Formats: sequence, C-alpha cells, structure tokens
Amino acid sequence: MWRRVFVVFAKEAVDNARDRRSLLVALIYPLLGPILLGILISAIVDVVTVQPEEKLVLPIAGMEHAPELISFLRRRNVHVIPSPSDPVRAVQEGAHEGILVITPAFAEHFAADETASVEVVVNSSRLPGLIAVNNILGVLGAFNQEVWSRRIAARGVDLKVLQPLEIKSVNVAAGTHIAEFLLFMVPPLFIFNLFMGGVYLAMDTTSGERERGSLESLLVNPVARWGLMLGKYLAALLYTAVAVAVQLIAFAVIFWIVETPDLSFTSAMSPVVILGILVMTLPLMMVAVGVQVIIATVTMSYKEAQTYLGLLPLIPAIPGMVMVFAPVQAQGWMMTIPIFSQTLLLGQFVRGEPIAIVNVLLSMSVSGLIAVGLLLIAARLYEREKLIFGS
Amino acid sequence: MIEVNGITKSFQAVTALKDAAFAAPDGSITGVIGPNGAGKTTALRILYTVLRPDTGLATVDGFDTVRQRADVQSRIGVVPDGRGLYPRLTAREHIRYCGRLHGMDRTNLETRIEELAEVLRMEEFIDRRAKGFSKGQVRKVALARALVHDPQNILLDEPTNGLDVASSRAVHALIKGLRDRGRCILFCSHIMAEVAAISDRIIVISDGRVMAQGTPEELTDRTGQQDIESMFLSLTADLGSA
Repeated sequence: MWRRVFVVFAKEAVDNARDRRSLLVALIYPLLGPILLGILISAIVDVVTVQPEEKLVLPIAGMEHAPELISFLRRRNVHVIPSPSDPVRAVQEGAHEGILVITPAFAEHFAADETASVEVVVNSSRLPGLIAVNNILGVLGAFNQEVWSRRIAARGVDLKVLQPLEIKSVNVAAGTHIAEFLLFMVPPLFIFNLFMGGVYLAMDTTSGERERGSLESLLVNPVARWGLMLGKYLAALLYTAVAVAVQLIAFAVIFWIVETPDLSFTSAMSPVVILGILVMTLPLMMVAVGVQVIIATVTMSYKEAQTYLGLLPLIPAIPGMVMVFAPVQAQGWMMTIPIFSQTLLLGQFVRGEPIAIVNVLLSMSVSGLIAVGLLLIAARLYEREKLIFGS
Repeated sequence: MIEVNGITKSFQAVTALKDAAFAAPDGSITGVIGPNGAGKTTALRILYTVLRPDTGLATVDGFDTVRQRADVQSRIGVVPDGRGLYPRLTAREHIRYCGRLHGMDRTNLETRIEELAEVLRMEEFIDRRAKGFSKGQVRKVALARALVHDPQNILLDEPTNGLDVASSRAVHALIKGLRDRGRCILFCSHIMAEVAAISDRIIVISDGRVMAQGTPEELTDRTGQQDIESMFLSLTADLGSA
C-alpha cells in the first residue's frame, strides 16, 4: 500500500511541477513578504541614520529673544537656522521636521528667573518627526538642567536634592535599532505563506480532479481511498514546505542585503535557525494542508473551493498582525493553541530571544495531534459516495 | 464473471435501480441497453466500486464489490463515465500511472504500454501531453489505462460515444479480441445498433428495472420482433401496460 501511496504522491508532485500556477504559489509568492519587509527596513534605516543627533538642524523663530539659549544650542553642536515665517505650516508641509518657537515674553521671564516658555512644533505622525521631537526635547532638557543648577547653586542648594531620578534608558533588544521593530512582521508573513503554499495543489488534486472527470478512473484502481488521499496530501505538504523554506531563505538574503554595521539581522536567520523553524512548524503545515484537503473535498466545485481557500491564509495571520502592535509575552498555556503558539515562537526565534524547548515540544505535539485528527476526517470524506459528484 | 442480485439504489427521492439482477459470463460480450437515465451508469458504477448498493449483492469473480473492494478492483478494467485526462501528463504517463497503481513491475509495465500503443495505434501521440487531445485520442488513452493490467473483467461505459466510424470499428474489434481470449466484457450504450452488432448477450434496462436479458436470438423469439429497436420498444411498452 505504501508504494502505491508514493505513486500517487510522485504523480501529483510531478504533474503540478509542470503547472506554472502551482510553481508561482510555491516559489514566487513566498518572496513577496521578505521583499516588502526589506524595502520597509531600508527606508527606515535611511530616515534614522541620515540625522544623527550631533548634526541636529533646528530652525528657531524669535531667536533674538533668547540669546543665552541660542549660544547653549550652538555649544551643543546644534545647527541653528532662522525659522520660516509660518512654523506650523512649514512642519505640516514637511519642509522641516521640528521648529522651536520662542515667544517675545521669553526674555522678560528668563531675566526675572521665572519660568519662560518655548513651543516645539513637530509632526509626530511621521517617524522623522518622532525622532526630531526626541532630539529637540533632549537638548532643551539639557539647557533646563544647566540653568536650573546655576540658579539653585546661587541659592546655596545642591542640585542632587532636586533630582531624585537620573534616567538612562537601556534597550534590551539584541541590537539597539528601531528597525528591529519590523521583525514583528515576520511571523504573520510567515503564517500567511504557510497557509498559502499548498493551497493550489490541494484544490487541483481534489476538486480539480473531480471537475476534469479523472476522479472515477483513479478511484477504480486497487488503492484504498485513504491511500489516494494521503498521496495527494503529502504532495501538497511538500509544496507547502518548499514555499516555507523559500520564504525563510528569502528573509535571510534580504536581511543580509539591508545589513549595516549597527543593524544586523543575519544572526536571526542562520541556516540552523531556518532548519529549526522548518522542523518546529512542520506540524502546523500538516494542519494547514489537512484543512485545505478537507475544504477542497467537501465543496461542490473548484470555484467554490477557491472562494474559501483564497480567504483561508488571512485568518491564521491575524494573531501575528495584532502582535506587531501589541506584543505578547509567551506563556506555557499559549503553546496549546496552534497558529498562536507558532507565531509566538517564531517571533522569539527571529528576535534572537531564548526559547524554551518545552514550549516548542508542546506546540508541536498539540498541532501534530490536530493534524492527525484532520487526516482521519479527510480519509472518511474520501470514503463517501458523494466524492464523485461533489457535495 | 459478473453477477448482480437484487440491487436497489436510490439517490434522495430518485430510485435509479429497482431490484436489478443480471449476469455477464466469461468469454462473452454483454451489452446493457436502455434510454438515458435508465440506470445503466449506476449499475456499472456499483460494479466498479465507486457506488454502494442500498440492498442486494454485486460480485466480480465471486468477490463482493462492497466488502472485498480491493479484490474486485484488481480484477476489473474500467472506462468509466467520467474519463477526463490530466492535461499536463503524456498519454504514456497516464497508462503508466494506472499500471503502477495496480502494482505492476517496471519492465512488465513498459512492454505492456508498447503493446497497447501498437494495438490502439497510439504511437503518434503516446509521448504528447493530453492537453488538446481529440476525442478519439482521449478514448484510446482511457481504454489503454483500463487494459494495462490485463484484467479478466472489463467494464465500459459508452465506449464508442462520440467516436467516428473507423475508430468505433477499431474499438469493436478490440473488444471482440478480448472476448476471444476468454475475458468477461460488460458495456453499456444507448446506441442500439452498436449493442446489436457486437453483443453475445443483451440486458435491457428501463426506468431502473431489468426488462429482459438473454442472447439476441432469445430476445427476438420472446418478443417476436426481428430488429433490436422494435424489440426494445415492445419490451418497454410492456412496462407501460403493466
């Protein structure tokens, strides 16, 4: 029986290798996610590295009201330039990322040792705007502290009394770069691709076979129905695994291309990591193909199967997409949820975080059990008489 | 040897076969004749194991088509109702696929394919992909893959439907050759002239019931009609009056 299962598997694998559409889904579609991510990363790297802090260009309106502030800024290596006449509009239009506005009352309040106010005009909906506001507030904070310590010293008080906190931020990411935030996009792209890779083959070998009218000729051969199903299932699984491997390699290549001295993802996608991810997600691939075969078997026609299976990859990608913006700390119980557990573990893999073997095993065995259940259901569906007519 | 005993088969409200019983002996061509929708295809589908009867028993060489499905499958060669090909496989690959699913070993299989290609005159397109095959070419591939494992029992659903005269004659000659080698051939057709031309035994089905069966001579004696069409009409008229 196993030899005949292999005969079916080999026929479907070869047949679909001759089909441009199957190859497109298995070999070209998986490249799209990594390419998109590569473009995003390099765009962000440009924004972040073009404006290092020491060369901050700061347009200032009302410079004449605060000579001491201006000279402080110049000492701090800030390139001070005059502001355009309408600072708000200039920022809105993107001519400048941030503008400091000094009000005429500044001089009077400052001279009187009172609180003098300045306005920082920025557009925080843009990433460069966020970086500008961070830099401007940093340098103004330093000025604040200098003036403040001088005034306090004049009154005979030690500055430390008034500074209960000295804040230094320590970034725990393996690197320290904002672009690493984008690594959170790897899991949803991966899951989407995993549910996409074998979809065409699952449809072609089941509802496609029925619509071509070749199914009856196949069923009359002395091979158990579950054997026929399994051969087709394994062929779809092979194409899924190929699509997943192609995507992982594409991620590795893209990370290597966008790499800069202070931004390195190459460790995130070493050959060992790629192999580990393939093994870890194999049970999930089995679940995906099981669902695809079942849907392709119970639907009336190829078109109907296409309608459901076209939407299918989006649904499992949702947890990962949500986690891009609301990251979740992996917990043991989460490993019992297929898709969710792989999304979490994959995130840990690519961000170079430590991974608990127990979690991997738990995730694999739960998904593996579900995959076996789906296989049993698919085998039963193949026994139905309706198979030759469509439901 | 094919035997059908008291088979009934319904699809929801429609009863396709009612208590049907007939037999097809070895070394004989048995033609099943009846109008469209009479139950011919359903009867064949039960025999070639893709449908299960509601009641009754169908056997091939004594094996039950439901409980001994694999034994039946390895003893039959089938050109089913649905005879589509895989557009991306060549004619040779279609036949090879079938042979391998029957567990044939490589050398036997390859010689057998050459043999069939010669008998069915397929040399010209044997290594071409099936996309764009003519009806005749599709039919030849379907026949070749049904015969690749040299089965004792051969089930053909409308084997010459859509073929030109020359191709039909070639198929008839092939079927007669198989009969002369002791094979059991059961085919169905709605073309009465075809059934009359090659059948050793005829089974008349109408509205899911077997109306009559026997040699052409027995049937003409019974109905008193000489040509098969009049015979068929007189048999189905019995149903109307009964």
